[in-house]
Amino acid sequence: MMSDYVIETSALSKTFGRKQALRDLTMSLPRGGVHAVIGSNGAGKSTLFRILLGILSPSSGSSRILGVESSQLTPEVRGRIGLVHEEHTLPAWMKVRDLVALNRRLYPQWDDDVHREVMGHFDVHGDQKISELSRGERAGTSLAMALAQGPELLILDEPTLGLDVVAKQAFLQSLLFVGGQEGRTIVYCSHQMDEIERVADNLVILERGEVACLAAPEDFCERVSYWVTEGLSPRVANGSIPGLLQAREIEGQRHLVVLDQGDDLGERLRGLGAVSVQRLPVGLDRAVNAYLTRGHHAPRR
Amino acid sequence: MIQITTGDSRPVFQQIVDGFRMQVATGELLPGTKLPSTRGLAMQLTVNPNTVAKAYSALTAEGLIESRQGVGVFVCEPRQQLSYEERRRRLDTAIQQLVTTVITLGFEPDEILDALEKELAPLLRKSS
Repeated sequence: MMSDYVIETSALSKTFGRKQALRDLTMSLPRGGVHAVIGSNGAGKSTLFRILLGILSPSSGSSRILGVESSQLTPEVRGRIGLVHEEHTLPAWMKVRDLVALNRRLYPQWDDDVHREVMGHFDVHGDQKISELSRGERAGTSLAMALAQGPELLILDEPTLGLDVVAKQAFLQSLLFVGGQEGRTIVYCSHQMDEIERVADNLVILERGEVACLAAPEDFCERVSYWVTEGLSPRVANGSIPGLLQAREIEGQRHLVVLDQGDDLGERLRGLGAVSVQRLPVGLDRAVNAYLTRGHHAPRR
Repeated sequence: MIQITTGDSRPVFQQIVDGFRMQVATGELLPGTKLPSTRGLAMQLTVNPNTVAKAYSALTAEGLIESRQGVGVFVCEPRQQLSYEERRRRLDTAIQQLVTTVITLGFEPDEILDALEKELAPLLRKSS
């Protein structure tokens, strides 16, 4: 029976010397859709994926990918997982045609139509050497191969890093409209919020080796609000503002980003001495930023 | 035509919902107009088709659009599901919120009314 979750971790921890890369990480990513994984540098993303794929063993805890224990992954299970890495590391000396032929033999589910469709977005010819390709063309080549292998789970790690706008557009179009299909799960790691907004069904915010939030982007934005206050005395500690994620002093006004607060926060702020309070809408970019930079005074979920 | 701006203060889902509400309100989209398919609009905007599907189902729940099996998605004939009293109550609440926000900004009432009129102008053009 197929597991309902493509990725499951239970109390997963990993330490490198004195550095704790993953801390008691428990999460389950349901099958289907695009999960966008975001987190600051050092949040534990790459450690997590290396453990999930059985490349690295955890200090404690366990993880399963496609329902199989990470340490027990067989070549057959690995074949159902597609990977597209930031570096698009492909053998430089090979011709595109030969590399494709090699991969076609490796994967029983290989689909030439899918490969052709993705490559149609990129101007690459079979007799070009990998070393002759631009970064965008290499990205397209590796996405085409990953999708043609027909993966149940596709993991992309910063796939569009350094791509120009044209290549990026081609990449996202291929990913969403050739790659997106019923039952396939895409895990998309990126720092680029403009892409996250376009592709994500679900946000996974990783923070200090823990999952801080799992929600649809619009549900997450709903929880966060932005307030501009005037007249709040510096004596009013940020700690006394409920749900505070981020506070900044801009030209005498205190700008606040808060979590899970309703309109009654306005009254509360007036009670603390604010003479004017204005609530502004907040976009995903700022909401995530505030969430990731929240200080020790902020509530932890 | 719906447009998506990344970095906007509204999530993509909300931008699509708001975009259609506005186009229906201004008469840019007339009842009976066929909308692009979920996949078609997603391709046009380069966004996840599931997000468009979610926006379409929110608009369907509002009674703004309807899906006809096997034919497509269409703009509905306007129908009021809420009583006059309820709509009036919601209008008053919205205006109270607006007033409490703008009152502290120190504008003359005339200027506020002008700004409001400017926002309403596209709607006024439609009904005239």
